[in-house]
Amino acid sequence: MREFLLGTLDRDHKTQFEERILTEPSVYEELLIDEEELIDQYVTGELSAVEREQFESHFLITAERQKNLRFGKLLQKYVNSHVEEPPIPSQSFSFLHTPVRRLASLGLLAAILGAAGIIFIRGFVNRREAASVVQQTTSQVMTVTLQPGSPETQGSTAQSVNLPPRGVEVKLELQLAKPTFSYYKSELFRENKSLKISDEIKIEAKGEQCVVPFTVTGEMLSPGDYQVKLSGVGSGTDEFIDNYSFRVIE
Amino acid sequence: MNKNWSLSQEAFDALLDWLDSDREQAGIKYEQIRSRLIVFFAGRGCINAEDLADETINRVTSKVNEIQKEFDGDPALYFYGVAKWVYTEYLRRKTPQSQSAPIDSARAELEFRCLERCVARLSEEDRALLLKDYGAKGQTQAERRKALADELGITLNALRIRVFRIRTGLKVCIEKCIQDSL
Repeated sequence: MREFLLGTLDRDHKTQFEERILTEPSVYEELLIDEEELIDQYVTGELSAVEREQFESHFLITAERQKNLRFGKLLQKYVNSHVEEPPIPSQSFSFLHTPVRRLASLGLLAAILGAAGIIFIRGFVNRREAASVVQQTTSQVMTVTLQPGSPETQGSTAQSVNLPPRGVEVKLELQLAKPTFSYYKSELFRENKSLKISDEIKIEAKGEQCVVPFTVTGEMLSPGDYQVKLSGVGSGTDEFIDNYSFRVIE
Repeated sequence: MNKNWSLSQEAFDALLDWLDSDREQAGIKYEQIRSRLIVFFAGRGCINAEDLADETINRVTSKVNEIQKEFDGDPALYFYGVAKWVYTEYLRRKTPQSQSAPIDSARAELEFRCLERCVARLSEEDRALLLKDYGAKGQTQAERRKALADELGITLNALRIRVFRIRTGLKVCIEKCIQDSL
């Protein structure tokens, strides 16, 4: 069904399938469910670059499907604004209420502070190593400035980004040598799997430099290596500009 | 077929009679055939799939009295045969594809408000299901659905159908909300 929807099914199978759509109600219903799932995968950036192209050029051909895509995007926006944080257990500190336990807890507190100190120092070292990354976190948005380069060209000095806390958005600022397009398209990958695409992005001035802003949710990132592919949006086709690599560390 | 031929009530009634003797069932079958014809034309890359589906229906309707006498079988198959002819003709006269009009911000805002209203009308259970179906970040749709089906103790297919029905209901509700607001 997916191949039929994306227009990649061969002619013989397509003809057989068309007949089944017309005559078998269950096949048609299954197709409608598959359509919605495909739309969701497009909206959440789960489709590969090839599938996205097929989705845009073939699947989105009818007004009804375009309307369904709009609904999918709307739903995604709604869910993003309504997903609740897990509640913090209210009895977390009840063990502090007796004198003996209080002493034990002081020891525990010292151990936690020690561990936190080590983590802080390691984080400081990591930040120094990630010399080419500028990272700034406000209450809701973590801004990370990235320079172009692939893992091959950056080697062990890959740009590092601290794991964002839950609920924080990560604004990746992709540094640009010269602004040649009106709009840009960014695609985030992890291990060659596309996670998110944004198009029609306008550049922003940052001091004397230009950056392409690309915002992703913190939940989308976990420790590991990522790559952002930046393209300029031309008339008809997109033009590849550069890759930006970074590593998310705890 | 005469291109100026338009669907008369009499011809349409004859079509419905052919589809089913029960008028309500005939109406349902008509809608089903139209939706499937749209999928057929969309599957073949026709940008105006809706128009071509209507053209197919009009052609069948214009000759339904003759068809009834000569054709014995599932009407859907007859529509399929006509649709293939309509498609062949479409290829001969194919025109450049047009882009859909962008949605203005006021309309987008209205759609979102309507969605919020419609979600609020869902049962607690359906609302939670919808949020969970989309909510867990960093997972693929398949991973999310598998975990959710396990949590609910239902099969993956049962979950897919349930989510589909909730969404279909939401779409109908949003359409109505938008119409009421305009």
